[in-house]
Amino acid sequence: MSIHRNALRAPWLPWLVALALVAAGPLYLNKFLQGLAIQVFALAIFGISYDLLMGYSGIVSFGHAMFFGTGAYLLGILLKFAHLSLWQLVPVVILAAVFLATLVGFLSLRVKGSYFTMVTLAFAEMLFILSSATELRPWTGGDEGLHDFPVPAWLSPTAQRTTFYYVALALLVLVYVLARRLVNSPTGRVLQAIRENEDRAQAIGYNTFAYKLAVTILAGVLAALAGALNALFFRNATPEVLGVGRTIDALLVTIIGGAGTLLGPVLGAAVVRLLGNYLADWFGSRWPFVFGVIYILLVMFFPYGLIGTWRLYAPRLRERWRKARAGGRAASAP
Amino acid sequence: MTLDTLISIILQGLTLGMLYFLTASGLSLIFGLMDVLNFAHGSIFMIGAYVAWVTTEALAGSLPNSDARFALALLAGTLAGAGLGALIEWAGIRPLYKRPIFQVLLTLGLVFVINETVKLLWKADIHSLARPASLAGVLMILDRPFPTYRLFLIGLGLVVLAAMSVLLRRTRLGMIIRAGVENGEMVQALGIDVRRVFTLVFALGSALAALGGAAAAPFIGLVPTMGMDYQLSAFAVVVIGGMGSFAGSAVGAVLVWLGRAFADYQLSPLVARATVVGLMALVLLVKPTGLFGVKKGGH
Repeated sequence: MSIHRNALRAPWLPWLVALALVAAGPLYLNKFLQGLAIQVFALAIFGISYDLLMGYSGIVSFGHAMFFGTGAYLLGILLKFAHLSLWQLVPVVILAAVFLATLVGFLSLRVKGSYFTMVTLAFAEMLFILSSATELRPWTGGDEGLHDFPVPAWLSPTAQRTTFYYVALALLVLVYVLARRLVNSPTGRVLQAIRENEDRAQAIGYNTFAYKLAVTILAGVLAALAGALNALFFRNATPEVLGVGRTIDALLVTIIGGAGTLLGPVLGAAVVRLLGNYLADWFGSRWPFVFGVIYILLVMFFPYGLIGTWRLYAPRLRERWRKARAGGRAASAP
Repeated sequence: MTLDTLISIILQGLTLGMLYFLTASGLSLIFGLMDVLNFAHGSIFMIGAYVAWVTTEALAGSLPNSDARFALALLAGTLAGAGLGALIEWAGIRPLYKRPIFQVLLTLGLVFVINETVKLLWKADIHSLARPASLAGVLMILDRPFPTYRLFLIGLGLVVLAAMSVLLRRTRLGMIIRAGVENGEMVQALGIDVRRVFTLVFALGSALAALGGAAAAPFIGLVPTMGMDYQLSAFAVVVIGGMGSFAGSAVGAVLVWLGRAFADYQLSPLVARATVVGLMALVLLVKPTGLFGVKKGGH
């Protein structure tokens, strides 16, 4: 009996059940819902990459879309013009993201706080402008972007959706485990120390610039992979993937789920994509406005997100529940 | 390149430079004093333009003098910016002083709300604001026609620069602001309510952006996203000039726009846009605090 109880109390059990439910998705989800789930997976990877910066290292970038968009465009351009296979493509996307993140990180991490935020936005908008520039139309498709690039037959988002579903899920799990390993490692601890007080971390002797650059590069690579996955699913890359709206997406899933928790962005992605879809239909053209208002209210009144708020209140609730039970027992005893 | 071409390029660069100076100086002032980066600054710029346009439309029947109409439109736009700025600081920024990251996140959300409100009110179509009669002509400079309105913009920028310099250097409020930029806690310790100054400065910075928008309206079309390009260049200007420095904003703005004007002439519009970010990257490499950056103390 007591063993059974302990098993039920194992903290990982609910997550295992949830993972099994998601993994069994194609059994009970129709094609449309599977598609929605794939979008959630891509958004969750993007969110985790953002959370590594904002939630764990205290680095607030408003230019994170530049990596997402670079992944998307690079995938499109390479599929369309270079006819690379997926196995050649992934390393190229990763290398390009490392290069871009190193360049942008090296320049922008020289300044701190909101100053950094501003500089990253400027770099991202630069890429946004480049992507829609008429001079680059032959490669990027200008304002209209790239459409209908050839995707490998075995991973066709339409014909082989279930395969796509599992590939996307596998990537998400891989990214999650990688991020989990990172934040629990000594390097992760240093990042969190930088978040709490960079001057102090520096005083202890850590080269905080190098740590920040490293996490920027990792987050950039993960975001580029998320962008490539998203582009592969929609078979397009438009300037919008490099826009501020995409950065807000990442920000939003991180805040809603809970910054500084890794499950937060995953949960946040599900809420944003599923609820967002539903609400967008409901509100029609007024949706962006309502979205903005909800976002502001969340920032002002719900700063810890779903997971963060739960962790904040769960111990108190448990305590109250324990007291109520103890109190009840005491009262019933004569 | 001949002399008259050179002068023409310089004048063009100066015109836009002044608009960017108006946008950037407000941004830099707010950041310098309050450590708040207002991402909705470009939206306030846009609101200034729209309010000026609406005022002009509303007065079209009752006030036949287009110059007076234009002056009132500029005033209305500026006041709207000041009011909106004060409201944002009071309702949004003030409750979040303990959570600086969330202040920045909040202003990003404001961009959405303000732009979408404008879209709902006035549609996303391009509107245009006519130049007033006395500024609609051209002036011959070295045998080249130069629009009078551009000269007016340059003049407006210079007047604001002078007015702000007087405010910052010669008044008590200016003294408090300058002291606050250098060390806010010390100013508070001397018994001055910095928070009240914060609201005032936020309103002042927003008013400058809105004035820039209203003045730019006859020059560029009115669309809800019109502030974005200006805001981004203002960011670059602030990084180049140095946060919190008024003179830095002026020099940065002129540098950025001269650079862009020459690149536009010699190379291509794409390269011209890239120069802005390129210059910013260069300054970050060489002097991360900006050319005229104020060294912060007591943090």
